[in-house]
Amino acid sequence: MTLSTRFAPLCVLGLAAAVSGCSRPRIEAPVADAAAAITIREGLTTVAAGAGGGAGEAQVSGTGWGGLKGRFVFAGDPGQPKPLVVDKDTEVCGKMSKLFDQSLRVDTSSKGLADVVVFVRKSSRVKNPVPTTPVVFDQRNCEFLTPVLVARVGQPIDVRNSDTVGHNTNIDGTSFNQLIPAGQGTTYTAAGEMGMPRPATCNIHPWMKAYMIFRKDGYVAVSSADGSFEIPDLPAGEPLEFQVWHARSTGSGGGLVLEQPELKWNPKGRFTLTLQADEIKDLGVLDVPASAIGT
Amino acid sequence: MRQSSPSHRFVAAIIAIVTVAAVGCGKTPPASFRLNMVQATKATVPESGLEKPWASWSRERQQQVATILEAMFGTPDEPVALPETGLDLAKLQLAAGPVRSDIVGRKNGLYREHCAHCHGISGDGMGPTAAFLNPYPRDYRQGKFKFKSTWRDAKPTHDDLVRLLHEGVIGTSMPSFALLPPAQVDALAEYVKYLSMRGEAEIALFTYAEQELGADEALPTTKEFLVDEVLTPIAEKWQGAADARIPVAAIPAGVDFNLPGNDLANRDSVARGKALFLGDGGCVKCHGVTALGDGQANDYDDWNKAIVAVSAEVAVGLLSSKEAATGGMSSDALADHRARSAWLDSFAHVLEGDALRPRTIPPRNLRIGHYRGGRRPIDLYRRLYTGINGAPMPGVGPSGPGGKGSVADEEIWHLVNYIRSLPYEMDGELGADRPMVAKDRF
Repeated sequence: MTLSTRFAPLCVLGLAAAVSGCSRPRIEAPVADAAAAITIREGLTTVAAGAGGGAGEAQVSGTGWGGLKGRFVFAGDPGQPKPLVVDKDTEVCGKMSKLFDQSLRVDTSSKGLADVVVFVRKSSRVKNPVPTTPVVFDQRNCEFLTPVLVARVGQPIDVRNSDTVGHNTNIDGTSFNQLIPAGQGTTYTAAGEMGMPRPATCNIHPWMKAYMIFRKDGYVAVSSADGSFEIPDLPAGEPLEFQVWHARSTGSGGGLVLEQPELKWNPKGRFTLTLQADEIKDLGVLDVPASAIGT
Repeated sequence: MRQSSPSHRFVAAIIAIVTVAAVGCGKTPPASFRLNMVQATKATVPESGLEKPWASWSRERQQQVATILEAMFGTPDEPVALPETGLDLAKLQLAAGPVRSDIVGRKNGLYREHCAHCHGISGDGMGPTAAFLNPYPRDYRQGKFKFKSTWRDAKPTHDDLVRLLHEGVIGTSMPSFALLPPAQVDALAEYVKYLSMRGEAEIALFTYAEQELGADEALPTTKEFLVDEVLTPIAEKWQGAADARIPVAAIPAGVDFNLPGNDLANRDSVARGKALFLGDGGCVKCHGVTALGDGQANDYDDWNKAIVAVSAEVAVGLLSSKEAATGGMSSDALADHRARSAWLDSFAHVLEGDALRPRTIPPRNLRIGHYRGGRRPIDLYRRLYTGINGAPMPGVGPSGPGGKGSVADEEIWHLVNYIRSLPYEMDGELGADRPMVAKDRF
């Protein structure tokens, strides 16, 4: 074998490697349609004829007020809550009572599923003004005492720390990530509507997690320990789209998807209802299948 | 002269063929923005009742977003600035495009010359060198910036960006661009804002598609939607940055920043700062008693946290999808199952190529004297006041105008003073009364 024949495969290999490189495998991303982009751009740069009739606003079409209630019941086996790994400030955290994962709270006797959030996505009328009394968001034993906090946009939130160690409260999607020294508190005014509940965490104690949702109209309910919820004072006579959410739900974006064909409960965890004046619509017992809740 | 042997000619031919095959003989296509594939895949989660196979449905939806973005922002070679953005197109043109000189000999293509190799053509923080850097280069697309003079969730001002480019970010791979003419730095800052607005609009479009659109609906392309609903809220935050500066308290008596942090004249102030560091400031929780950054240290910043969360979701989903028994499924359920499996597979591939391996963000070691956002007392004051946007670091000042912080505004200056003294402090708390030496700091 001559030197050059031995050299040939090496050469080819080396070249192939040099040319193809060692870059990471990237899937081909869809690219823009340049002609269509130019057409769209023309529409964006010309002055719109006549103000568009705000597609985002619900039309006022009724009078009176109604309500919605129901009760979520977990149809599966919730299992035993997992103990949390508490490795910071152990002289305080988990001393009052042992800390467990509270992301799936099911009542042992009634099987009621707590912490399910139900809210209206769009409404035209609001009965009550934004309350000036603050909602309290407290922490003790290195645990948030409110698993899901609801506030109206513009409503003050009294963020407290009843522990003897410092915490920071970091509300996702807002400007609030403030240190709250032991035994102190501060006030944050809920600013900006949230499309879905957002986590509130403490970065010092990473196991601490709660959720918050701020809505302009305040049409939000969180299911209580027995799984029941009620939203009063809803505008009657207009189609209202309700979003249902749970922290552990497997649905898209956290939407809780139930088998409720008569409500046309969709894969985003939503259904639409029109209430009559003075009607309190009772959805009865809503079974949450085990498959709707993830790990 | 010796004639070349057949094997020599063979080698030459093979090399020529391989080179041509690999390099091709076409022109290089113009640079294009890469779609935010993590967001794109997240937003095209399959819904039941899809008529087309999932892959073609999601590709169509993703392509529509790419087209809308090109309509609103143009291409890397030809940027477009709609008047609502408030961006200066002349500056963008100086920064955009391939590196070249224009007719008056002025340098163009500044972003690709100075920035793109780390921050990427699309500003995704995933240029060719990104994976080798620690920390990773900033991904502008979320519109979150750390080092600024404004409230935590506000945008940086133009001057904040210019200053950062001028100074660089010490302790990271971000160099100083102080040697560039001011006009070029200015153009680059404008281009960063442009890429950031584009990235935020992209996320807004995908979020809208995920939240509001039914399986067979397309995104609206009207001015009302794209400009009024999507672009304007983003642009207004950028334009309002100059009015969102945090207030700066007067420096109290007993604080003299002209003297070293460990000077006797500053002793009382430093002692107060230390009490705050260990007490109400809460600094000790993460930075540790010794300020070596050895407290709580297994957290992620917002950019990495998002990837950690989505990777976990995909891994769990893939596992349960493989374990699922498909035997007893109805045809509809089977179609849903297949679409979901295709989505999960595709997501796993996207995460391999379009996300960097997540890294934790350790709290800073304050004994080194490297401050990423700047070493001036005012820089430290701002970091303490609002915390660091995108990082776990909370603020000790109020979260907005009229709020109440855990440390009073003027007291923050004492904390600043204490932090400035840390690199020089005697190492009493570590058990030996001697000055810190570098090798003991790690």
